Amino acid sequence: MAEKQATNGQSSDPADSFRQLRDNYLDAWAKSMIDVVNTDAYAKATGALLDTCLGVSSPFRETMEKAMLQTLAQLSMPSRADIVSLAERLTNLELKIDDMDAKLDRIEKVFVRPARPAWRPAAARRVTRKGAK
Amino acid sequence: MDACNVVDQVQDLQQRMIQFTKAATTKIRIDQTPRQLVWSLNKTKLYRYRPVFPEEKRHRLPLLLVFALMSRPSILDLRPQNSYVQYMLRQGYDLYLLDWGIPGLEDKNLKFDDYVLEYLTRAIRKLKTFTGVEEFSMLGWCIGAILATSYASLRPDDGLRNLILLTAPLDFSNKEMTFAKWIGEERFDVDGVLDMFGNMPGDMMDYGAKALKPVENYIGNYMKLWDNIENPNVVEAWQAMHTWVTDNIPMAGGAFRQLVVDLYRNNRLLKGEWYLRGERVDVSRIKANLLTVIAEADHITPPCMSRPIVDMVGSKDKELFTIPAGHIGIMVGSGANKVTWPHMDNWLAKRSG
Repeated sequence: MAEKQATNGQSSDPADSFRQLRDNYLDAWAKSMIDVVNTDAYAKATGALLDTCLGVSSPFRETMEKAMLQTLAQLSMPSRADIVSLAERLTNLELKIDDMDAKLDRIEKVFVRPARPAWRPAAARRVTRKGAK
Repeated sequence: MDACNVVDQVQDLQQRMIQFTKAATTKIRIDQTPRQLVWSLNKTKLYRYRPVFPEEKRHRLPLLLVFALMSRPSILDLRPQNSYVQYMLRQGYDLYLLDWGIPGLEDKNLKFDDYVLEYLTRAIRKLKTFTGVEEFSMLGWCIGAILATSYASLRPDDGLRNLILLTAPLDFSNKEMTFAKWIGEERFDVDGVLDMFGNMPGDMMDYGAKALKPVENYIGNYMKLWDNIENPNVVEAWQAMHTWVTDNIPMAGGAFRQLVVDLYRNNRLLKGEWYLRGERVDVSRIKANLLTVIAEADHITPPCMSRPIVDMVGSKDKELFTIPAGHIGIMVGSGANKVTWPHMDNWLAKRSG
């Protein structure tokens, strides 16, 4: 191959050969790894690893959570559960506001000729005018 | 080989390594198309992209993009040179994006029930009020396609005229799929994971997706950058993709549990046994015109997961379109703007008047 390239006047870069070799190796490796991760043995192994991680970390996590709760209570600070509960209530409020907004949209469509924001699509403006008539 | 040559080569290698490290660790700006916030609820936001054409030159029906729950929708607007959003704007669509946002611990109980019947339904209500048009088209990609299919089944008379499903994981009957093996009941403790984290961590899902093709994702990907480090176009494209791939977000715990238990393990959706807030999701009730786009080389959603829906829907106008690409490459690969996007545009344009 090298001789042939030399006679054609082309330069022979050893890096090209190395790259070709590397790509062939990676291709073969990639195919075999796809087969490996698709085996039952791999699925079982990852499942077992996950179970071990969960089992080992669970007691530490529970202890940490208890300690943190006590600390926050002594400092008169809200816990994570308090914040989460507050956020859930805010979401419920948002749902109610969204319903009110939808009702207002319907009323506006029927009765009101609105002051139109510049970004509002023309289609929406036209429908509102029709409704006002 | 003289000493000077060796020194030069070492210096070149050193320079290349510096360039490589810099490129591989730099995040670039993606998702750049101007847009306006139209509506929001909790973390979910509905955006409208600034149209390119005036109303009279646009298609009448707005198009709503619904992406997956566990990744950022910025893949739809990756770079100005490679943006589905910009392409569709240039084809005259009034384009809206539903961004699910990043769920917090307070959202750990959110389920598909909530996403479909609360968030998506309300967003569509706002879309219709905002545009003043009672009909619309919807594109769902990956998990977004499950949401779009569920909505189209549960609300067939709510104005959805055109439905595009992109690499839609809907049929989970094939238990030989790698994901199905990994998250089988005896192997994956979904409740244990969710008890610990609340939501399914983005990094764990990212590992799952990458581990399907570990050599390509963990080594080959970086080799591609190394080989092309002196080509600024390739480097920029690589960085944009890398920015998106590494921007992992968690998936709400309740929805993840449904994905694993109801769908992957029990295939409840296509069996007609899936209930959202007590309503049965029956795909035969779908009336919207349907375009199902399949990526032949998709390792995340193999074609067998998307094909059966075409024969099960009640739609009279339906089409299955197969493209030789992968799960993400179908929309951002080199052939996307030559095959996938034009086909979707042609199909949709005829039905958007």
